[in-house]
Amino acid sequence: MPLISSKFKILWRRNVKRNLSVLLSLLVLMSLVLAACGTPEAPATEAPATEAPATEAPATEAPAEPTAIPKVPIATFDGTTLGVPDCDYGGFFKSIEATDQYTVTFNMCKSDPAFLSKIAFSPFAIYPSEWIEATAGETTRTSDGLEKPVGTGPYMVSEWNRGESLTFTAFPDYWGEPPAAETLVFRWSSESAARLLELQAGTIDGFDNVGPEDFATIEGDPNLHLQIRPALNVFYIGMTNSYPPFDNVKVRLAVAQGIDRQRIVDTFYPEGSEVASHFTPCAIPNACVGDPWYDFDPDAAKALLAEAGFPDGFSTKLYYRDVVRGYLPQVGNVAQDIQAQLKENLNIDAEIVVMESGAFIEASGSGQLDGFHLLGWGADYPHITNFLDYHFGEAQQQFGTPYPEIYEQLVAGGQIGLPEDAEQYYVAANNAIRELAPLVPVAHGASAAAYRADVETPQASPLTTELFAFSDPGGRDTFVWMQNAEPISLFCADDTDGETLRACEQVTQALYGFVVNDSATEPHLAESCTPNEDSTVWVCKLRQGVKFHDGTDFDSADVLATFNMGLNPGSPTHKGNTNLWEYYSTLWGLMEK
Amino acid sequence: MTNIETKVKTLDAEGLSLKSVSLWQITRRRLFRRRSAVVGMFILGVLVFVALTAQWISPYDPYQVLIGIEEVERRQDPCIHLFGCPADQPQHLAGIDGNVRDEFSRLLYGARLSLMVGFTTVSFAIIIGTVLGALGGYFGGWIDNIIMRVMDVLLAFPSLLLAIAIVTVLGPGLINALLAIGIVSIPAYARVMRASVLSVREMDYISATRALGGSNLQILFRRILPNALTPLIVQGTLGIATAILDAAALSFLGLGAQPPTPEWGSMLGSERNQVFTAPHLVFYPGLAIMLTVLSFNLLGDGLRDALDPRLAHIS
Repeated sequence: MPLISSKFKILWRRNVKRNLSVLLSLLVLMSLVLAACGTPEAPATEAPATEAPATEAPATEAPAEPTAIPKVPIATFDGTTLGVPDCDYGGFFKSIEATDQYTVTFNMCKSDPAFLSKIAFSPFAIYPSEWIEATAGETTRTSDGLEKPVGTGPYMVSEWNRGESLTFTAFPDYWGEPPAAETLVFRWSSESAARLLELQAGTIDGFDNVGPEDFATIEGDPNLHLQIRPALNVFYIGMTNSYPPFDNVKVRLAVAQGIDRQRIVDTFYPEGSEVASHFTPCAIPNACVGDPWYDFDPDAAKALLAEAGFPDGFSTKLYYRDVVRGYLPQVGNVAQDIQAQLKENLNIDAEIVVMESGAFIEASGSGQLDGFHLLGWGADYPHITNFLDYHFGEAQQQFGTPYPEIYEQLVAGGQIGLPEDAEQYYVAANNAIRELAPLVPVAHGASAAAYRADVETPQASPLTTELFAFSDPGGRDTFVWMQNAEPISLFCADDTDGETLRACEQVTQALYGFVVNDSATEPHLAESCTPNEDSTVWVCKLRQGVKFHDGTDFDSADVLATFNMGLNPGSPTHKGNTNLWEYYSTLWGLMEK
Repeated sequence: MTNIETKVKTLDAEGLSLKSVSLWQITRRRLFRRRSAVVGMFILGVLVFVALTAQWISPYDPYQVLIGIEEVERRQDPCIHLFGCPADQPQHLAGIDGNVRDEFSRLLYGARLSLMVGFTTVSFAIIIGTVLGALGGYFGGWIDNIIMRVMDVLLAFPSLLLAIAIVTVLGPGLINALLAIGIVSIPAYARVMRASVLSVREMDYISATRALGGSNLQILFRRILPNALTPLIVQGTLGIATAILDAAALSFLGLGAQPPTPEWGSMLGSERNQVFTAPHLVFYPGLAIMLTVLSFNLLGDGLRDALDPRLAHIS
């Protein structure tokens, strides 16, 4: 063999070999990147998942609803008046006017018996008008707007170490009683055992959602205090009627009677929890009118299932998210027990599917789960509309096609001020829920917060609005609070997560607020809000001499700017975090059509 | 040499006919002479026995919720009659779990699942890994390059993280977890196989076979593979331990076996918050995982020493 050619061969081989391996490694890398980007369930997509409804919902709903034309803002705002030409858009507000510097008038389209409770809810907290304009970004609020809210509250945000802790310091010019502790720190851990350990070690002053198995430990410890939170919530097993076999009412009724709810409450819920006789907890007016839920009767349930054409049961899925809430303190155990009961009593094979929290809420809310789903609801404000309208309203897709038998009653009842006058509609609505069984209400779960024994005014609010300015941590100058999870943002006008709202409530205030450890309302930034006779006009006198954290004075222009930001999609300040403005749109109605 | 001679002598003295002593016989003897390996084999034997007979020896159905059937409390401590538990109470050797089921029965069934996980994933990985490694080592060139670079990429990820990524893509579940663990353990076997192939590929007896007209397949599987078997067995035994551990970790994270399957990792994971209030629910599954992994590790170490001809004079 000639020397040159062999040398050339070697050279060629080497180069090609090297190139080949480089090429190959590139190829593998590319395919890995592609695989990572292309997977719909990859954890990295978690964040956009919460935003998805904004863009995806109209697209998926389009074939079902012919009215999915993009909505047009209809509001007009001139700085002192925010109004709509007529009330056809379906919302509550006709106009909101700044009558003078310290008076705001709300003109309603229809009377709203829950006005004060709703206005006290933390997403409707008032921000300074300058700040609202300054932090409105291109499509969402700027990072300052999301992470450094300016309010009138006793604390202001000083530092947020993402993933670590959130620190607040006392606001020196606060209009009310100055907070007991100079510094307030929020921390979080998803494990109840870890939270308890921290409290026992004295590194935190209080934590929420005590594990049911730890109630006795805390009660037996003289250094700790257990604060039980009243059960203003409901845990239910939902069924979506757009998927067989749940389209058959007999199947749903069989499940309604075929689950021993007493056994679930006795075994898995802490003291103070109750089996749900109705969907809405009985502490709320009109909640428990109408017939109570079915007794557990496996034979009748089996007969119903056989009548529906499933004498041998069927196979389905059981969806839930592995997240601890007051209504469902031990979600995995409860899910397994329901699974076992379905098998034992009805011969239904339910495969457990654990979903990521955000994806689960999205899928269940839009009625895309083809099996059972385990979910619950905690009161935002103590009114029956917060429970029933949120689940069975005309626009709610969670249980498939909405049931007119239920929502027609809710529309009628929701406009009547006096609970006695509205009772007949809620009797009919509750009975319709019982007869149609879109869900099985299981329990009203008690939960508890734990504090060091020397903390004064320990709080466990039924609405989970704990205001730590009122809790003195035994004379220490820092109050450390530990909750389940980190807040998502600190711009609560456009957020729904309870752990997020609690953080905002330390910083921002609404016209009204809730009494400590109670669900009654009390005036905060307003001195009073008074209705006219049929409660279609509410006049709010604002508190004077209140300062925002940035030093500006609080007056009616700030109230107007805040509601313009939340309600008016045409406003340049209508920029939030998810841009769903869920509470503004469901509780008041966005000014668009 | 002396070793074999003495063996032959002892055999002779026992009145047995003179037979050649095979590698496996030697290995077995060496293995039984190592105390740690015997301990490993004993634990493993018990586990295999339990796994095979779980449905006969477990006192309860592992899925049976005992509410209304027996007077037991949720997460009750173990009740063992032998250790002073009153005889009128039902016996629960490992207590009651968070869903009021007999923990001991679930542990027994868990043994079946864990061993199954270990053996299937490792068999899967060995088969694929061996073929890939053998192809790469024997043919060399670009085939070797492609295969080994892909293996390098797989090895570049921490194995558990890669398994989690695979399960996230495929969706949680026991089968997917098995597949994921199988995939991440392929490179180890491919490398072992390739190394063995490379070391014997140019040897005279291979050339001889080739000269005699042996085909590539014949050479690969009849002549080379037997040489690679020893390291593969050792690697496989140790690999089972890793696979069981990985499967338990995936299940602990909720990505592996789904409830109510009695899998040790998921049993441990679902009761992790009860580590102080009901320690038996965390302790026993943990102990079971530890013993299983330990047994495979001891056996694997023992096998490695026993199969290593260079260590022949030691034992």
